[in-house]
Amino acid sequence: MNSAIPETTSQFARSATASIPTRVLGCLAVASLAAVALLGLVVSPRDVNQGEAVRFMYLHLPVIWIAYASFVLAAVASALLLWKGAARPDKGRHYDRLAGAAAEVGVFFTALTIITGAMWGRLTWGVYWQWDARLTTTAIMFVSYLGYLALRQIPAEPVVRSKRAAIASLLAAVNLPLGHYSVDWGVTLHQEASLSSLSDPLITGDMLVVLVFSVMSFTIVAAWLMVHRYRVIRLEEIFEEEGLETALAARRAEVDQPGESGLETAGAL
Amino acid sequence: MDVNDRSGLDDSEPPPALDLTPRHGLDDVDAIRRELGKGKKRWITVAGVLIVFAFGFLVVQFLQDATVFFRNVDQAVAERDELGDRRFRIQGRVIPDSVEVIDDVVTFEILHGCATAAVRHLTDPAELFDNPWIPVVLDGSWKPQTVKLVGGTDDYVFESDRMLINHTNEYSSNNAEQVESNLPDDFLVGCDLTRNDVGLD
Repeated sequence: MNSAIPETTSQFARSATASIPTRVLGCLAVASLAAVALLGLVVSPRDVNQGEAVRFMYLHLPVIWIAYASFVLAAVASALLLWKGAARPDKGRHYDRLAGAAAEVGVFFTALTIITGAMWGRLTWGVYWQWDARLTTTAIMFVSYLGYLALRQIPAEPVVRSKRAAIASLLAAVNLPLGHYSVDWGVTLHQEASLSSLSDPLITGDMLVVLVFSVMSFTIVAAWLMVHRYRVIRLEEIFEEEGLETALAARRAEVDQPGESGLETAGAL
Repeated sequence: MDVNDRSGLDDSEPPPALDLTPRHGLDDVDAIRRELGKGKKRWITVAGVLIVFAFGFLVVQFLQDATVFFRNVDQAVAERDELGDRRFRIQGRVIPDSVEVIDDVVTFEILHGCATAAVRHLTDPAELFDNPWIPVVLDGSWKPQTVKLVGGTDDYVFESDRMLINHTNEYSSNNAEQVESNLPDDFLVGCDLTRNDVGLD
């Protein structure tokens, strides 16, 4: 993942976050999404009860799957940071970037989940939103990971900031099983898991094929976004660190040679 | 103010040297980073407070309403004395043959856990209400009234003003054969009600 990442600001200025593998992944993501649209909107049959509204399933289920998977990845990376980060030469910054990238992708897909779920709910339940257990825990998940992302932005020493964020990520992850199993544990308006078992699915064959294909396609999209986001976080770190180093070097030069450029740069810090 | 206006100053005195002493030790990178981030921190604190409030609101909602979203018909009938005329949500499958519309009021019976309840629904039904045996969640309360049900008579009717469709996690292609089997095979197992009572045979 690091090969495409520049190590200096001069490389930064010339670089993008793409590499040949990510370009291939991106093309694959776009092509598979186009196929999902065709399969979901044209090929898939209507549902016996929901009619055309069932087509939301091909969007809603994959995006919540991505959201959960992203948050689990963020939690694993955060646990690794706290467990093994100190022993690594980068003090666990790799795990921190991975957790941050995964959480951002997760938040984006959770927002999509809430939007698509509201639209689907209006067509089937008759309402956009109800405070039932699944919807409420999803809203809690969204807000708690927004908090996590906000915490990552609070200025601090990088190691302290990454540890603080890792703890927040693990706390937010407590809600994940609560949300996923809320439909089994509580009495909810939201239906139970639709794809809990591929060996004994509750979805007829043609619809199941489209759904599984859609899940795979959105997984490719999420992987593509996550790789790019990881690289952008690294670039931001380089920019921040080198920008500070440059400012410090100018200030040191100013102190060493007072009177030359002190007035111009006195306010820099 | 003209910074070059030196009238009133004693030119015999040299001007005070500009203090260029760094506000931080230049080697203390972390202190500089903290100083640079002070403005950002303020906004993030505001955002953090808002997020904490939103989180608290959601937890309260969860504890108040979310864990038991509705009572099934058998529970609602068993807890009738306790519920009194209080509003609550009831869930059951609509018995297709029981649906009647008189003066914009829809009456029907719902079935769950071998218990049935008569419903008088006062507003427009949900879009998917016409599907046979569709599970519905109704918002309302018990009202005393003697009514005839498929399984006998009852002294209460559930008067509702809000209907939600409680669709299941089963999805199948649209064809007549599957519409017939919309009621799960084991739905009446262990009940005094027969398939004939509810219009299936």
